[in-house]
Amino acid sequence: MSDPSNRAPLSGVVVVEHATSVAASYAGRVLALMGATVIKVEPPDGDPLRREGASLHAECGVGPLFAYLNVNKSSVTLNLGLPEGRAILGELIDRASVFLDDTAPSDRARLGITPDEVARRCPELIYVSVLPFGAIGEHSEYRGYELNLFHAGGEGYLMPNGLALEMFPDRPPVKIYGHFAEFNGGTSAVCATFAALMVQQEMGGQFVDVSVQDVNVAISCFAIQQLGEGTLENRHERSFKYGGVLECCDGYVQVLTLEQHQWEGLVKLMGDPKWALDPELKDPLDRGRRGKLINLHLRAWAKMQLVEDVVKRGQALGVPLAKYAEPDEILESEQTRVREMFHKVPAAGLGEIPVLAAPYQFMLPEKLVFCAVQPGADNARVLGEWLGHTASDLQRWAGAGAS
Amino acid sequence: MSAGNRGINKPLQGLRIADFTVHAAGPFSTHLLALLGAECIKVETSKRLDVFRKPHPVYGRMEAASFAQVAANKKSVQINLKEPRGVELAKRLVAVSDMMCESFRPGVMERLGLGYTALKAVKPDIVMLSVSACGQTGPERSYAGYAPLFGATGGLGTLTGYKDGPPVELRHVMDHSAGLNAATVALAALFRKKRTGLGLHVDLAAREVATSFIGDALLQFAATSTAPGRQGNDAANKAPHNVYPCAGKDSWVSIAVATDMEWRGLAGALGRPDWLTNPKYAEAGTRWQNRKDLDAEITAWTCDRKREDVARMLQAAGVAAFPSYTSQDIVDDPHLNQRGAIQSLNSPEGQSRKVVGPPWRFSRTPGSLDTWTPKLGEHNQYVFGDLLGLTRDEIDTLIREKVIY
Repeated sequence: MSDPSNRAPLSGVVVVEHATSVAASYAGRVLALMGATVIKVEPPDGDPLRREGASLHAECGVGPLFAYLNVNKSSVTLNLGLPEGRAILGELIDRASVFLDDTAPSDRARLGITPDEVARRCPELIYVSVLPFGAIGEHSEYRGYELNLFHAGGEGYLMPNGLALEMFPDRPPVKIYGHFAEFNGGTSAVCATFAALMVQQEMGGQFVDVSVQDVNVAISCFAIQQLGEGTLENRHERSFKYGGVLECCDGYVQVLTLEQHQWEGLVKLMGDPKWALDPELKDPLDRGRRGKLINLHLRAWAKMQLVEDVVKRGQALGVPLAKYAEPDEILESEQTRVREMFHKVPAAGLGEIPVLAAPYQFMLPEKLVFCAVQPGADNARVLGEWLGHTASDLQRWAGAGAS
Repeated sequence: MSAGNRGINKPLQGLRIADFTVHAAGPFSTHLLALLGAECIKVETSKRLDVFRKPHPVYGRMEAASFAQVAANKKSVQINLKEPRGVELAKRLVAVSDMMCESFRPGVMERLGLGYTALKAVKPDIVMLSVSACGQTGPERSYAGYAPLFGATGGLGTLTGYKDGPPVELRHVMDHSAGLNAATVALAALFRKKRTGLGLHVDLAAREVATSFIGDALLQFAATSTAPGRQGNDAANKAPHNVYPCAGKDSWVSIAVATDMEWRGLAGALGRPDWLTNPKYAEAGTRWQNRKDLDAEITAWTCDRKREDVARMLQAAGVAAFPSYTSQDIVDDPHLNQRGAIQSLNSPEGQSRKVVGPPWRFSRTPGSLDTWTPKLGEHNQYVFGDLLGLTRDEIDTLIREKVIY
């Protein structure tokens, strides 16, 4: 390759993704964006995630989650219930640097992909297992979707806080939108993949056991730390003493004043009202004790404010204030445009639609491409051209239901 | 050949990080890299103590924390960056490091003379990671931000909450998700450096991390002009899908059913074969439409059972179910302890405490959590003396003159 400074970190690295979970699919997405060649192995009727949610468009045939998770990947179909399908998977793994898999541990023997078998066959391969509760331990066969994993990691018990909790104190805890726990599981798998790649040259391959629960416990470490200090957190007591979500006349903002100067800025922003200048509110500990009273005033004041205006004026005074942005605002904001967060991606029946690449400015690909509408659209290119099988092999496998 | 024979025990062994990060997101990213074996040198100052070294009334902590997870496995040095000689020390530290991380507001490092260009001059192949709320560029680059704020601007907080309620503020998990992404992109940059010999400045915006969690919703909006909105615990194609009360105060179990096989497992485990033929529930589509009625029926079954029993019973029937874990449940969980995701760590005074271990298990080069939160400046002598070659007298002078401070 020409100029190494333009080379993506994973250029030339082949990843075989055999996965139907959101976590492992997200890991494959990030690896693809980092420049890897990601070959997604699907069952002949396609990854079940293709059918999750309403289709983006009749011609598209897939929902938004699948479309988002599977950019810049090739799709091949294999029936791993048949020996031919398993043999081709073996050939793909032979040619890969990384194997991303979310098969339940007890099913791996049936598919010939136990960690030992794979290590014997491909000693240089990095085998990244991504499972809800990991590959070992008494819960390793447990099933777990986003909701379960969010609660298994500890944050589920602690949501919501603040205004939502005050309004609905008796409701069950509420989850974070979408696939928060599972995307974090996927990012954790990418982190581990890079770590293993860092020593692959010296150490060869290895088995990396990634658990979605483990990483969610890790990101909830503050609650574990608080426990060590003698506090068992719960959602009622965890709420900020004052501030938080405020309803304005045209939407919601978030305010959080952790430092004295931020509180003083907020008082100024409110126009130095008499109640806020009370000497009893000067000290942060006293303010904490009078949080309910402060909130009464804050909320009444916020109701008279316009979101854009109050955020701009507040930030100028050093007050941590932010708008609860709606999807259209994120897509169209000046900040978004300047940072080129979204790529225009052609989608069947829709023309070009904006897709978020990654949350960092770093060697991202020039182009994003949705995964093919048809599962196995890349069989000929990958199994034929790349693995070197003939067109008649491909036809025979398709006829036998192996691909 | 064993790992030891090849002389490598950890993935990032031999790699040094000059860590200028503060608060939560940045320090969590370097903590993860330290778990992977990097030598992480945390740069601090008495002029402005790290958040865990002082009381934090907003979180109800009236004194310094006795342990800070995100500072564990790190070394601590003191540098007063307000002093020109402090800035020089910082540059010398960067010159002997592979990577430099910071999480000040954009522009601060440049003002201090520690921007990427200045650091590249002392270490041409340095990888610099900048973690900020809104990124290093754009009209809102200088906006102040904590997790609830970048969760809001990034849209994740907006879409989180009960359908008929307000948005919900996101807490430390938002910070730490930004940190996880930061560690990942830092590793990508380090791997690229290993392959090409080239350094790089990586710019991570925490609000964009928040946005990455709603990528599917943004796609839906772009394609259909309708966004999903706040959905409570609902999920497309899954019913039941909720958190159900169990016996005991504030005790809950999460249950999620996506496939017909799981649905049959649930109906069997609850002794409700009638559900399989009831037109309200038999098909996935109608089941989703009638999910509130189904929730009520499930609640009647769970409410006087222990959440562990419910989870065990349903998992045995092939249904995804798990208790809503408190932090106490997490540290007591045998599975997490067996995996090392929860470990015991001894303080220098010999007190044992449950802490969070590495969230990955590598067969040949495992990460590890080895050392307690360092004392402020605990490694001044090692870093300034052994690594940078200052004499004892020079170090003492810099301490006296509040450069090492």
